[in-house]
Amino acid sequence: MSEKIKKENKTSFIDWFLGSEAATSVAVVILGIIAGTIIVMCVGKNPGGLFKAIWQSFVGQYNRGLGKWSLAPLGNTLTYAIPYVLCGLSMGFANRVGMFNIGAEGQYMVGMLAAHAFAVCIPSFPGQWFFCIIVAMLAGAVWGGIVGVLKAKFKISEVVATIMLNYIALYLYRLIALYVLPEGLINKTYQTAPLANGALLQGIGIRIREGALQLGDFQLNIGFIFMLLSVLAFWYIMEKTKLGFSLRATGFNKEAARCSGINDTNAISTAMAISGAFAGIAGACVLLGSLRFGRIMQSQDNYGFMGIAVALVGNSKALGTLLAGILFGALKSAYSLMQFMSIPREVVNIIEGLIVIFIALRAGLEIVKAYRAKQLLKKEAR
Amino acid sequence: MKKVLTVALCVLLAASLFVSCGKKGSDKAASAKGSDKAASANENIRVALLTDATGIDDKSFNAAAWRGILAFYNDNGAGKGTLYTNITTQSADDYLPNLKNAAAQGYDLIITTGFTWAEASAAFAKDYPNQKIIIVDVGFLPQYDNFIQYEYEEQQGSYLVGVAAAMQAKNDGIENPSFGFIGGVPGATITKFEMGYIQGILSVFPNASIRDYYANNWGAPELAKTQAKNWYDSGVYCIFSAAGGTGGGTIDQAKEYRKAGKNVWAIGVDSDQYEDGIYAEGKSAVLTSMLKVVENSTIDALTKVKNGTWKGGVVAQNMTNGGVGYATTNAELCDAAKAAVEQAKADILSGKVVVLKTAKEVLEKYPHIGRLNAIDD
Repeated sequence: MSEKIKKENKTSFIDWFLGSEAATSVAVVILGIIAGTIIVMCVGKNPGGLFKAIWQSFVGQYNRGLGKWSLAPLGNTLTYAIPYVLCGLSMGFANRVGMFNIGAEGQYMVGMLAAHAFAVCIPSFPGQWFFCIIVAMLAGAVWGGIVGVLKAKFKISEVVATIMLNYIALYLYRLIALYVLPEGLINKTYQTAPLANGALLQGIGIRIREGALQLGDFQLNIGFIFMLLSVLAFWYIMEKTKLGFSLRATGFNKEAARCSGINDTNAISTAMAISGAFAGIAGACVLLGSLRFGRIMQSQDNYGFMGIAVALVGNSKALGTLLAGILFGALKSAYSLMQFMSIPREVVNIIEGLIVIFIALRAGLEIVKAYRAKQLLKKEAR
Repeated sequence: MKKVLTVALCVLLAASLFVSCGKKGSDKAASAKGSDKAASANENIRVALLTDATGIDDKSFNAAAWRGILAFYNDNGAGKGTLYTNITTQSADDYLPNLKNAAAQGYDLIITTGFTWAEASAAFAKDYPNQKIIIVDVGFLPQYDNFIQYEYEEQQGSYLVGVAAAMQAKNDGIENPSFGFIGGVPGATITKFEMGYIQGILSVFPNASIRDYYANNWGAPELAKTQAKNWYDSGVYCIFSAAGGTGGGTIDQAKEYRKAGKNVWAIGVDSDQYEDGIYAEGKSAVLTSMLKVVENSTIDALTKVKNGTWKGGVVAQNMTNGGVGYATTNAELCDAAKAAVEQAKADILSGKVVVLKTAKEVLEKYPHIGRLNAIDD
């Protein structure tokens, strides 16, 4: 009797697991971290350091210099999460429409460039940062829109087009920053003139330097709020509007969508433009919030590419992408923390890579699902 | 039941692995601490070296800074992770967070390398007045009491390798030799290398033809290789590249051509790159290297922390304190060249020769060398 109940429970767990995409994502992350642990043990280090570093990137660490608890690592985690989530949204939005947007990196750079130009060329005025972000959003949308139009009108593969536009964006950034924007005072090949004060994103940290808690180090900028708003916008557009419905329908089956009267050409261009807009905001947030100087880009920041992983783990859903982005932010924050504990830094890259590989499990689970359905049919037939 | 047992066994196995590994780690740490106590009196100074993504395996700049730390502690690496450690970044927005993390660990000294750290280090030094921090190879930042900037006078070392290359050409009996310079991203720092090199060559061959090329990239060896091939084909005798990873391409091309019997040379930069140029037993395509003794800066800073002689500001690293020099590892570097370089060294030390560092000054002094791609900023 008890055996039977157990069996039933077990079956339902597997069904639930197979049915829930969130559960798969969580399993994938856990698998990735387990694999990371094994690797750390293989190189003869204590994996405790790995967990401690990841833990600290959420709850902070003891500041030995000051003798206080500091929440700075959590601030770093959330700050890193801004571009991760936004680029994840960029990838996810296109993905829902059946497009593979590898161009978040390029859209991110073009957004950053637009914000940079706006912040350097226009004298400081209060609230300038808001316009910088809007300009960056538009620039990203144009950069993504180009790909959408190419795909919709001329059937040019978005993968090839976005990869090429990534490089064009990088060198365009360098060209404009080096030769068009006003020169810096020092180190001219590395930085342009400083960003206007009004363009910098204000911190939303709590500044307490007294007491047992050292919160002065906790830094987070308004970009975080823009990121949350973007998550909301993603969810609203996708799930609640007519546009979102036509986008999703195109993603499920383009031909069927067209036959039922949806303009799929329009849908693809719009989706790529919105997708680019998310990445554009990410570029502005990193430049105005984290870097805070007129940086001349030397090489790609890779936030756009990591966005692919974030969207995959988040299953291209708004909430999922938010959580996945914060997780990747924590891993990036742990990247430096674990080095202080003599854990090889490559472990983080390995974990991130493995998570992406394990995501392929989804396809494997589909096979299991199909097999189980078949078995069930057979059983019933019998 | 069987399944439960298997799972339990698995868990036990995994747990035991954990425990054993953990123990091993702490044993190691304990023994390391013990040997430190015996080996050196520097045990109470803790230092963190913060580098960009390449880390201390770059065979060049960061590696040298790390060697300086190792030389200071002189404990065969036993203190790694406890007394001294290296932290690398993933991207450009990591610099400040990494500095703050290091401050949270309570290190006595934080070392940053290269001008990419300039902005972040200066901002950090201002915000954390009690944390001692140095930056190597930068001298243009605002000054704070807790902040030392080590600036290298590379033009002096580059002058020496210029003399060496020119004397080698003379020794080989080459008439009207021409020379090349390959830089990374143009800027005042790299211009110092180029100008020193040019002046060194001109001191031997006043009418030598010299060309320069900037790859606009620190990590594109293929660009340097293509350029080096063109130049070597058109009769350039020796190329000096100060271009980070890009310079590897020059050495590669020189290796190929020397192997094929062509008499061309490459000159290394920062560290002695003799090993990188080896193409046959005991033969290297790297004639000499301009040495930038980054070790000196880290040792100097650590010594200042130890002796309590810390003083913020800019410290110059030049020939007088052994901060720059040249390598004599290659046996094919002729005696005449060595003698000439030693003479040049003495002349610089005595002040008889002053090596100019900006393109403007050099072009004013030697107008006949024509147009250069170098930028002063």
